[in-house]
Amino acid sequence: MRAYVVGGSAVKVDRHFELGYRDLAYSVLSSCEVCGDAEYVVVASALPELMAHQVDLGVHIVQWAGRRVPVVRVESGESSGIAAVEVATSLIRSGAARKVVVLGVEKVTEYPTYIANRMYSLILDYEFEVLRGVSPPVYAALAMRELLRAGFGRECFSNWAVRMHENALRIPHAMLRFRISPESFKDAQVLAEPVTLYDSFALGDGASAIALSSEPTGHEVAVEIVYSSSEVGLPAYARDRISELQASTKLLKQLRERFGVDLRKVAVELHDSYTPYPIALLHSLGYIDTRCDLGELEFVNLSGGLKARGHPIGATGVYQVYEVFKLLTGGFDGVSVGSEVGVVHSMSGPDNVSRVLLLRRWK
Amino acid sequence: MKLSVPQFWRVRESLYKILLTKCLACGRVSVFKRPVCPYCGSARVVHEESQGVGVVENFTKVYYKQDSSEDRLPEVVAVVRLSEGVRIVGEVVGVKVDGVREGMVVEAVLRRYASDDPYGVIYYGIKFKPLKQDSTQ
Repeated sequence: MRAYVVGGSAVKVDRHFELGYRDLAYSVLSSCEVCGDAEYVVVASALPELMAHQVDLGVHIVQWAGRRVPVVRVESGESSGIAAVEVATSLIRSGAARKVVVLGVEKVTEYPTYIANRMYSLILDYEFEVLRGVSPPVYAALAMRELLRAGFGRECFSNWAVRMHENALRIPHAMLRFRISPESFKDAQVLAEPVTLYDSFALGDGASAIALSSEPTGHEVAVEIVYSSSEVGLPAYARDRISELQASTKLLKQLRERFGVDLRKVAVELHDSYTPYPIALLHSLGYIDTRCDLGELEFVNLSGGLKARGHPIGATGVYQVYEVFKLLTGGFDGVSVGSEVGVVHSMSGPDNVSRVLLLRRWK
Repeated sequence: MKLSVPQFWRVRESLYKILLTKCLACGRVSVFKRPVCPYCGSARVVHEESQGVGVVENFTKVYYKQDSSEDRLPEVVAVVRLSEGVRIVGEVVGVKVDGVREGMVVEAVLRRYASDDPYGVIYYGIKFKPLKQDSTQ
């Protein structure tokens, strides 16, 4: 049995102080025209216990939406969204359900940012890393320093962020729809030297839903989930280099070797929580050298990426799949790609786990 | 930061000592006491305590505010290559934040991580400070 994305929807990533988990979930389900007759719901969310004191979130969302379908919640840190798509795809392929809705939802603005930072840092190993003062931007800073020593210029990372903001201008659900310049980095708030706020993802609340079906016919458009794979990497402190994203590199190389995927020719959404990571990844795959010319990678992160579309932690992967689905089937307000193929890459922490999906337009 | 009493009791050894896991199958050494080798997956491992001396290989000055760190910022977190050949990440203290540099020889010390409240548990753990014999300071 094959699995197809047949539609979806997304709420603008933003500070939705007036909306809770259930409200955001209901909002996106209501706007998803093809999500109505699902036989199963898979909810992706990373932080509801910490942010909203809520266990078994999926059940409470389905009850709130007035439905009685079975539901399960999937949590795998920042990669929860793609992990949920993996589970939903398995449900379809096994024949357990003919139609499954994957719903990513996250609240990150329930507390002041410094408390949200603390909660977000728990994607790392609490006892071995967090207790010792290690946080995600610390690893990003150490990775950037490694890349700077390897010959990359600081402007390489700034240019990534500038481009993501430029891309986000045309994406309706993106959080940061404004331009920045490389010069603005000089005054940006430092998180961990040399990483600044402008090198970091935008933290926002969000919800996105996609509908998966075993049957592409009868739908206006459909995109097949051709392949999915995931890999757990070494802890960052156990690597020779923190910027060595072995799991992500291996998975994307597999896509190239098995399916002939060239990231210069397909729609790609890369996990760019911090600017060093996509640069390190594209370098290890051989797409860029230390001069950091991104010119040929025109279809990479047309959404604006985590940097500018925003990163509602556990929901982000569902946004990525929705965006690639849209790009392969018509696009956003004039943003489209000529390719029939799309790739989604997600990871949690600095490559602690990496996940990829290969998508292909069916019609 | 609030650890439960059982969790605090469980993790005390890894907070107060740098324990290493030596793999008898592949020969690699990893940091922390582990049941299996993270590199080859073998359970044929033995544990030993590090001497706690190493060299700063990489570091960052941290301003990222979390709810247990705001009274200490900025702080320096470094990758330290221990004399046993493995790396560990930890905070460097006992030196001005602008005084830390790559190649600096450091030693492990016990320092306060955080406390629950004025009357609560004080959490101590391993940090690093410049080794006195490091004449290059």
